[in-house]
Amino acid sequence: MSSTMLSQHIPDPDLITMYAENQATVFSRISPWTKLAALILVILVLTLTRNLVVCLLLYSVVLALYTAARLPFQKLVAWYALPVIFVISLVGLLIWTEPGTPLLTVTVSGLTLSLTDNGVVLALTLILKALISITISLFLLMTTRYHHLSAMAGRLFPSPLDQIFLMAYRFLFLTLAMTGSMLKAVRSRGGGLVHSIRVQSKLFAEVFALVFIRSFERAERVQKAMVSRGYSGTITAGTEVPNPRAGEIGVLVVFAAAIGVMVLFVPVPGGI
Amino acid sequence: MAIIRRNPDDKFCLPGDAKKEVLIHVDCASHSYPDGSVGIHNMCFSVMKNEVVTLCGPNGSGKSTLIEHLNGLLVPSVGEITVKGKSLLTTKKAELWKEVGVVFQRSDDQLFAPTVIDDVMFGPLNLGMPQEEARSAALEALEAVGAQGLIQKLPNHLSGGQKRLVSIAGILAMRPGVIALDEPTSDLDPVHAEMIEHLIVGLKQRYGISIVIATHDMDFAARISDRICLVRNGMVFAEGSPSEVFYDPPLIAEAGLKLPHIARFYLEWCTANGVRPSGAPLTITDLFTLLKQDAHRMQG
Repeated sequence: MSSTMLSQHIPDPDLITMYAENQATVFSRISPWTKLAALILVILVLTLTRNLVVCLLLYSVVLALYTAARLPFQKLVAWYALPVIFVISLVGLLIWTEPGTPLLTVTVSGLTLSLTDNGVVLALTLILKALISITISLFLLMTTRYHHLSAMAGRLFPSPLDQIFLMAYRFLFLTLAMTGSMLKAVRSRGGGLVHSIRVQSKLFAEVFALVFIRSFERAERVQKAMVSRGYSGTITAGTEVPNPRAGEIGVLVVFAAAIGVMVLFVPVPGGI
Repeated sequence: MAIIRRNPDDKFCLPGDAKKEVLIHVDCASHSYPDGSVGIHNMCFSVMKNEVVTLCGPNGSGKSTLIEHLNGLLVPSVGEITVKGKSLLTTKKAELWKEVGVVFQRSDDQLFAPTVIDDVMFGPLNLGMPQEEARSAALEALEAVGAQGLIQKLPNHLSGGQKRLVSIAGILAMRPGVIALDEPTSDLDPVHAEMIEHLIVGLKQRYGISIVIATHDMDFAARISDRICLVRNGMVFAEGSPSEVFYDPPLIAEAGLKLPHIARFYLEWCTANGVRPSGAPLTITDLFTLLKQDAHRMQG
């Protein structure tokens, strides 16, 4: 299903998988374990740092990786919309309460609010953190073949979480296709996502309830098909995930060291 | 082989092809679903070694329910099913799956693994084969169905026809003696439907596998089957060779089905030209041959 079926701002699993399966850049050949380690490292740094400069540098690196992997930049910008709105909705109030040098003062009903330099830095830092997380996650997903991802999930997650991951990923496409067909049916008879919610919210809710009911029915059929091939509760992953090469580990160590240096020595703007 | 009929009250079982070894025998089995609806009722039916037997019946006649009984997915409420002489109830499931594989109607329900090779290896691994052996069984099966080029593909990147081939490979890799296919040509374009048809014939001829097919595609059934079983209201009520069954219009009407196009054309042509049918063609080649002979006879 094309992402336009729902929204251009929601990452399209089909597109993500298409890149993951068909890209032939150097990043597709790197061990998935290396990329996962880099992702964990970045998330760890984001959790620990409040430094805008570190976030900016890290974002530049992540964005450079994303671009070098020849992944779709315009799509990425569209996919940023929802997380940015989410972060702004969270920090919208906080930025007015941060101590610091006032940049803008507003008086509403006798209440004076000041937007400070630290408030702006906080908002930018949080937005950058969100964008970095999304960009690096998409980088991992769009440069790693699905059977490697599922095999890694099989090794990392305890059962039955690994099995849930495996099944959920595969049937996500089918459920999305089913939702897409239903939306098409709604649109072909004069409905629309927003229009139908407003005018026929009950009917629209029923359409989505039907998606879940059909998913349950499908789940039963899938289970039956699996049992007929000897499934007894455990799926054995048949794929081997390539281990990191020495060079990759070296790059990872350098990357970790560079991040460490940035976190320790780059001064925090505004001193927060 | 003459048409043999069986009424709901009859105690005997339809014999199948008496010259061949019986692999599966369903003896007057009944199955009711939890909601009380009857899936199959007083069903007597056999699958012989190295034959293609087709269950023909309209939607809801019980074909799929019977198929699901053949490898123990469903267990009869009444009656007994034996596979190679062993009762379904006392046979270990793993042994049963080795003997009888089921290919479901919707390939999307059957393919769940990350890649084609993983999916085809799923069955062999469940049977306890080591990784390497399972992989070679999977590769062999994919080659047998002509899908060796799809090994690393994701199931959701396959076409409907490719999905069907991979589904069959997933069962074939388990090396069963019998493969049951539920509506194998439904939703396929004519080219892929023909591929499946050739594949089924190949499975029987090259590997000696018995094939059970549930379908209401009469043309397909006419071309491919050694034996036709007509299913109605949850029971097999008649069986015979395709040329006998498909040239018996009242019987086909009783089953709630339509004659295959070739049979219908030939019978109508004979009626229009006032000649008695001199054969029972089921393929276009046979039809042309017979029409030439009949036309020659008419001129003479």
